[in-house]
Amino acid sequence: MASAAETPKGLAKSELLMGAGASRLQKTAALVGHGVLLTITSVSALAVLFIFVFIIRDALPFFRAEGFREFFTSTRWYPSSETAEFGALALFVGTALVTAGAVFLAAPLGLAAAVCLSDVLPFSLRQVVKPIIEVLAAIPSVAYGFFALVVLAPILQDQGGTLIAVCLWIVGLPLGAIGAVVIGDLTTAGLSERLRGRGRLFVTMLLLAACFTALFVLSGRLNHIEILSGTNALNVSLVLAIMALPTVVSVSEDALTAVGRELREGSYSLGATRAETVFKVAIPAASSGILAAVLLGVMRAIGETMVVWMASGNAAMVPRPWYNLLAPVRTLTATIAGDMGEADHVTGSSRYHVLFALGLCLLTFSFVCNLVSEWAVRRSKRARG
Amino acid sequence: MRLSTRKMLDRSFSGLGFFSIGLMALALVVLLAPICVGGVKAIVFRGTIEHRRFLLEKMGRGDRVAVEAGIEKAQETRLPVYARIEEFEKEMEGKPRSERRKYRKELGELKEALRELLGPMPGETRPVLPRDQYGQTRWDRASAKLRDLLYVESYDYSNSDAMGVEVFTPRSETFAGTALEPLFPYVETHLAEMLRPRLTFYWGFFTDRPIDANMFGGIWPALLGTIYLTLGAMLIAAPLGVIAAVYFVEYAGDNPLVSALRSCVSTLAGVPSIVFGLFGLAFLINTIHVSEGKSVLAGSLTLALLVLPTVIRSAEEAIRAVPNTYREAAMGLGASKWRTVTTVVLPAALSGILTGTIISTGRAAGETAPIIFTAAVSVGKPLRIWEVFTQGTPALPWSIYNLCTEHEAVDEIRHVQYGMVLTLVLAVLSLNLCAVIVRARISRRQAG
Repeated sequence: MASAAETPKGLAKSELLMGAGASRLQKTAALVGHGVLLTITSVSALAVLFIFVFIIRDALPFFRAEGFREFFTSTRWYPSSETAEFGALALFVGTALVTAGAVFLAAPLGLAAAVCLSDVLPFSLRQVVKPIIEVLAAIPSVAYGFFALVVLAPILQDQGGTLIAVCLWIVGLPLGAIGAVVIGDLTTAGLSERLRGRGRLFVTMLLLAACFTALFVLSGRLNHIEILSGTNALNVSLVLAIMALPTVVSVSEDALTAVGRELREGSYSLGATRAETVFKVAIPAASSGILAAVLLGVMRAIGETMVVWMASGNAAMVPRPWYNLLAPVRTLTATIAGDMGEADHVTGSSRYHVLFALGLCLLTFSFVCNLVSEWAVRRSKRARG
Repeated sequence: MRLSTRKMLDRSFSGLGFFSIGLMALALVVLLAPICVGGVKAIVFRGTIEHRRFLLEKMGRGDRVAVEAGIEKAQETRLPVYARIEEFEKEMEGKPRSERRKYRKELGELKEALRELLGPMPGETRPVLPRDQYGQTRWDRASAKLRDLLYVESYDYSNSDAMGVEVFTPRSETFAGTALEPLFPYVETHLAEMLRPRLTFYWGFFTDRPIDANMFGGIWPALLGTIYLTLGAMLIAAPLGVIAAVYFVEYAGDNPLVSALRSCVSTLAGVPSIVFGLFGLAFLINTIHVSEGKSVLAGSLTLALLVLPTVIRSAEEAIRAVPNTYREAAMGLGASKWRTVTTVVLPAALSGILTGTIISTGRAAGETAPIIFTAAVSVGKPLRIWEVFTQGTPALPWSIYNLCTEHEAVDEIRHVQYGMVLTLVLAVLSLNLCAVIVRARISRRQAG
């Protein structure tokens, strides 16, 4: 690095001192400078190869000693017991469950917010909303983890059922009402002019009543749910969703903005409303960018360590039933972080190397995600010309 | 579909957008509000006489005369409590053995609760741990401890379907009819005189060393460790990143090597942070031995690697944003490529580079996973500058984790945890604010 700092200075000095006749020297110096720049750039770029090499180097001894089968198919994770067992399936399921929960929440919300930013809000309001997203993205993950553990977990444990029921009402009521009106409209479209108004009213009311009863019954049931521990997959999913939101919003907003005015204006001029324009024109045109946004959100959720370590409950078992978000889980990242403390003085044992095997799985997955999202971005760029 | 239905759908669609943005704002408030409220309490609180005594004895701060007078006054109001206990013990001596045994356990518990609240009893030998040497230093903790003194907490499991229900039985019931019965109302009404709470601004929270596993004192070593780690990371990452960005924008042609390097950088950006930690352990510490074990140097190198892609990207964007006319003008004056870059392009892109670097600094300060295996230790002294090459350090993010999951008295030091989180969040957010200000100032200058 010292040479990096000195070379440019030397180069500039020699240029000052050089006359016109020294063009050969100048050329050599320029070439050397170029070479140095390339070397430094390569060092930073090739760091990722180093990471791959060293993670693989430390992961291989595990696979050589224990094989692949147990690691990927067994759910018994007892790395420190007398007869050690390294079944990581439960960890994979935990990671998948938590990530799926987070993305399930973050993707629609993020997309809606991105559309709102790109198509609905006036410019001045956009400037107000942007900092909110930036701050959400800037808050350190350990602060999110602290919040999940100290603030959210007790609330979930005490009032979890009520909270879920309230959320159900907030989401279900508008959705049900819209659905009732739309279905009422669609089903009565074929009726004669005279009957249509009354028929529509009847169907809509019927559906609304059905929706209400369903909500009442469901929320009544949810209200009685007792959450044994506030540190569970739901808690982590919620917090991870908040953490993934800024990524999803900003990347998909970029994609939506890049679609351009012409397509939208074409759609408006054909009489489409804003929602129709967005759904039928803007989102399809920006689909690869949105895919990239969601993938980046997935990567953010999968790679997150502190939140899941602090608030997921760290129980290495497959929840029963497998989609049960209220059960404590354990993820790959949390296992690496948590077990290394006991394993780093037994360097060379399977217990140490298995953590690198977990790391390798994470690395491979994020690598694949990255490739796909890059491909998607490139495709959308090419489509735009 | 009817027009009115379509309009309604359109409206509700906009509503969904507003809802999700509102939800984000709400999330931010819900997240930051408890952290701010709890964090401020670490610095501004009602400190008791025990707090002032602690500061005087351990830190050598405070007005000795005033504090000693305060202790004297507090002791006066505490004496009746101890007198009651003595009286009770005398009373017990006269009672039969079975009666004595009945009260022995309860008396022990009561004394323990009293010790926690007010510190050691007069005439006892001075305990070793500072937490046993002093009573409650904070009024809010003292109120919680008062409840422990007044009530016995137990769980009622009689309803086997539901979870156990917390039941509080007053301790005065246990001691009804004995000399101790009046003690409880006395303590309850005179607690303020015994502890003499006063509004305290404890600025030492940032600059004091923690004492007795963060039960007392501040967070200075962790704060300093975070500063070292972050500065170290940026000292490495900023020059490397800017040079790489210059290369990518100004020098690199459109060849396979360059596009391979580019995808390497974007892959590096996607590597999970814990994997950086593993890499730091496997490569920096176990293979090339930058230090014997954990050290600030190893942590800084790992963090530098982590923020490198962000630095490269933002610097690249900033350099790309410099209009080509600038370059053409410099070239037209006969400047070489290198001179154009150093004297024209880089100064023009400085604001953008600075913004990106500052934001990356915030990211490096808040990251925990990469430093777990490479730099962070749970307990440590504030390091001197030359020790960073060989020694690990406590760091804020790690201490937060450590104190709220692995500390033996998690609830007792909630205020310290909140204070640490607030410090970290404030540091990161003020860095971001700096970035915004820099960006705004420079863009105004460029516009005007």
